[in-house]
Amino acid sequence: MSKTDEPEPEEEAADVSLAEEANPVEWEEAANNQKDPDERRTVSKREEKDDARKIVTGEAKYAADYAPEFPDLAGSKIVRSDIPHGRVTDLDTSAAESMDGVYAVLTPDSPEVPDKRYTSAGQSYPEPSPWDMKVLREKVRFVGDPIAAVAAEDAETASKAARKINVSYEEYDAVFDTEAAMQPDAPQIHDGDDVENVQSGADYERNIEAHSEGEIGDVDAAFEEAEQRDDLTVTETEWETPYQSHCVPEPHTVIAHRDEDNRHHLIASTQVPYHTRRQLAHLFDIPIRDIRVSKPRIGAGFGSKQGMQIEPIALALSEAADRPVMVETTRREQFHAVRNRRPARVSVKSVVSDDGDIEALDMAAVTNSGAYGPHGMTVASAVGKKPLPLYTHTPNIRFQFDAVHTNLPIAGAIRGYGAPQGHLAIEGHMDEVAHELDIDPIELRSRNAISEGDLDVASGILKEKEYGRRIRSCGLRECVAEGRAAIGWDDIEQPDADHLHRACGMALTIQSSGVPGDELGAAHIKMNEDGSFILQTGAVDIGPGADTVMAQIAAEVLGVAPEDVLVQPSDTDISPFDHGAYASSTTYVTGQAVKKAAEDAREMLFEFASRMLDEPESAFKIDEDGAVSERTGESVSLEEIGYESMYGDEVRAHVMGDASHCTEESPPPFGAQFVDVTVNEETGEFEIHDMVYAVDCGVALNPDLVEGQIEGAVHMGYELATGDGITFDEDGQPEVLSFRDYDMPTTGDQPPITSRIVETHEPTGPFGAKSVAEIPVNGVSPALSNAIRRAVGARVTEMPVTAEKIKAALDEK
Amino acid sequence: MSQAGTEIHLTLNGEDVTFEAARSDTLLDVLRDNSYTGAKRGCDTGDCGFCTVVVDGDPVKSCIRPAAQLDGAEVETIENLGTQDSLDPLQSAFVDNAALQCGFCIPGMIMRSKVLLEENPDPTEAEIREALSENLCRCTGYEKIIDAVQDASSRMADGADVAADGGRLPDEQGCPGCDCHDGGAER
Ligand code: FES
Ligand code: FES
Repeated sequence: MSKTDEPEPEEEAADVSLAEEANPVEWEEAANNQKDPDERRTVSKREEKDDARKIVTGEAKYAADYAPEFPDLAGSKIVRSDIPHGRVTDLDTSAAESMDGVYAVLTPDSPEVPDKRYTSAGQSYPEPSPWDMKVLREKVRFVGDPIAAVAAEDAETASKAARKINVSYEEYDAVFDTEAAMQPDAPQIHDGDDVENVQSGADYERNIEAHSEGEIGDVDAAFEEAEQRDDLTVTETEWETPYQSHCVPEPHTVIAHRDEDNRHHLIASTQVPYHTRRQLAHLFDIPIRDIRVSKPRIGAGFGSKQGMQIEPIALALSEAADRPVMVETTRREQFHAVRNRRPARVSVKSVVSDDGDIEALDMAAVTNSGAYGPHGMTVASAVGKKPLPLYTHTPNIRFQFDAVHTNLPIAGAIRGYGAPQGHLAIEGHMDEVAHELDIDPIELRSRNAISEGDLDVASGILKEKEYGRRIRSCGLRECVAEGRAAIGWDDIEQPDADHLHRACGMALTIQSSGVPGDELGAAHIKMNEDGSFILQTGAVDIGPGADTVMAQIAAEVLGVAPEDVLVQPSDTDISPFDHGAYASSTTYVTGQAVKKAAEDAREMLFEFASRMLDEPESAFKIDEDGAVSERTGESVSLEEIGYESMYGDEVRAHVMGDASHCTEESPPPFGAQFVDVTVNEETGEFEIHDMVYAVDCGVALNPDLVEGQIEGAVHMGYELATGDGITFDEDGQPEVLSFRDYDMPTTGDQPPITSRIVETHEPTGPFGAKSVAEIPVNGVSPALSNAIRRAVGARVTEMPVTAEKIKAALDEK
Repeated sequence: MSQAGTEIHLTLNGEDVTFEAARSDTLLDVLRDNSYTGAKRGCDTGDCGFCTVVVDGDPVKSCIRPAAQLDGAEVETIENLGTQDSLDPLQSAFVDNAALQCGFCIPGMIMRSKVLLEENPDPTEAEIREALSENLCRCTGYEKIIDAVQDASSRMADGADVAADGGRLPDEQGCPGCDCHDGGAER
């Protein structure tokens, strides 16, 4: 559906052609990367998750489960600010220090506590986040800022001691709303002179952490033209989302100690072991070689653990207490003091022709970073640049954002990374346009949406340089067809009762596969005598099953069963470097490194096979029997090669492979979300019958795990659409501090989720794969809002959708 | 354990044990302090179910059960179920239905399901949803967990864990054109 027939101004055509040329549709793909389903040995099979058995027996070890290995382990407690804005004028720790069993009390002045500024965000280097925080803080900016920490013989003693610390504050005025925060007379939360690594567009006097804007075509001209013409319709909408908690099952936990070599070792529930190691080294002035971060099993992350929230405190405490210390956050801290999804207000304006061609899209987002800036600029940009590529054909597009500080909890990275807020706006808006123009909402989308072969320029809207991303796989329309059939879009029957109305709503979704040109994944694989392998990667499996998929990729190359590839958990002493588990990058980036490393090892296998069977290396292929000569059919098993390589008479060499992978490509996965709902027009109450999500993630390397990603992400998206999130009173005190107060869906109230996989082939991905971990979280809010609109004509633009809001919208009609 | 400890005597997973416990210790504290780390701490306020164990036949959130009250009680934890080489049918149903991701909720989820299936060997989906409604899971959307409990119920009714891999058909032998069992090639 490329609009190639549209005449384009010459200049622009010249510009675009640069990116066109640099990103040809053709991709030089290795012959073995694309396999028919019946040629696949293990990829795209429902292989058992490699940690499944230890999980169901309770033997899987998470950070806190290592505690029994440290007999002298100290417990800890972090003292946090209970005012939203001010300065600590006095910190009386004497009573706490004199308590029995207390080993250390740290304040911002303690020698073990670094005085440097840093960002907690675990992203690349230097991080695209401002260095605006200190480990312990004298100036406090939200209820929950860490100001002191205690280590004691156990966590309970530490908590008692913490309660004896007397804190005096000088209180400042606080601001909790982004609009108010940008006013000239608003309290200033950060002094710009105190922030290092400042991000673009920052204006700390107006509490703006970052601002940016970009334009394709001429948006103002398009709106001016629309004013003159009857066949062009202007539509304006505005959308809002609340604070959402990750609700990570395992609270952030770290054990910090010195190992027998006197090095610092952290067993941490982290998504980013390598970033954490580098950041700790800089912060504490410790050589990188003296720090080891190991990641045991992780009780999920969802972005919450993409950064070092408590690691510096754990390290400082273990130094001060001179013994191992465990810092284990409480659920209460998880809700208000760790990280959350940032609220966003997003407006969209469009010009659309009577035929349904989108001529202009003008999008503006204001995100609430809370008190500090980790991920602030990058998430706010993602609000626009993630969803806009759906409609990259639009000749005139503008996007701008302000990432704004308030005296509320710190927002961070969370599944979707700004895309859910952006999708609500764009996909909600599309249904309003369809309604205005009386066009079927699916028809409007298929007319305008991106297709295979297209050059996506919208994702580069904030870049100064010419940018284009070639779409080499796109199953968007197939996802729509699949979801449409599965939900029964075309045969919804109205309930008998007159006051009940049933309808389906839908939304398109898109994400990326890693941060283009940024992330690096690496892998090392080595063979044992018996032909099994040990795979070391920096892939950080935080629950979704990355280790299993890595084993499948290596096994596919090496002709062995996936259980013959043992994957070692990420550990900075052992694993090759990796940026970590975020940005939907692991399968796509690290997976490709694993594939290359396995191919590297396979070369060595062929060298040995060639010597052992006296055939040229080029004659060999791998199958279940080992290395097989395609000329003679003779084979030598991997076990025979294994023994020969280590104990043989001729050449001894360990069969190993190594590789790195870093790429400019970041192919988007696509998907379509459908929601089927019945609404009571008298009360506004609604019931969801089914939520169908169909995804194109290229080749689904493990369908069980892909479905798991869909179902978990749709659950989280459903909560964003219907839960109250975290709310605050007028003094900035959090009102939600436990699961009891938070609307996380349970088996009792989670509506059913139906997942569908639409296979395409992505030539740049390992065995055709793209990402899947984040994309399914994007579509529920717009699809639900659209379904309700179609059922009863009431539009809810501010999440969560509640019966009260529907009722109010109905009353307004 | 800073306070004066008391001794509590329990039957834990069929064995008589004696633990030291401080007055403020919960059952979860005592279990974890004694290396029974299968039960997880997700909230410490009785709201997530990750710490669920079975006490005298009932599912109990061990993080809010004072240890001192448990003298003489019979406690069963996840450690009492099958081993990795020989899973019990409920555990293999979770494995075969891919009903787990990070796994942090799973020991509690399995212990709660175990009590459900003992009390009601053939629960409806609604009954499973009701019984598990105090055990949170953030990863799975509950879909595959509910499948696993249903599957476990039929496996147990069949009296045996049919095949070593839990009776799941390999992909090649999936059931074309129907979705009679999860994990088949054609869903
Ligand atoms: S830890 Fe016991 S219910 Fe959450
Ligand atoms: S599997 Fe992660 S919380 Fe249930």
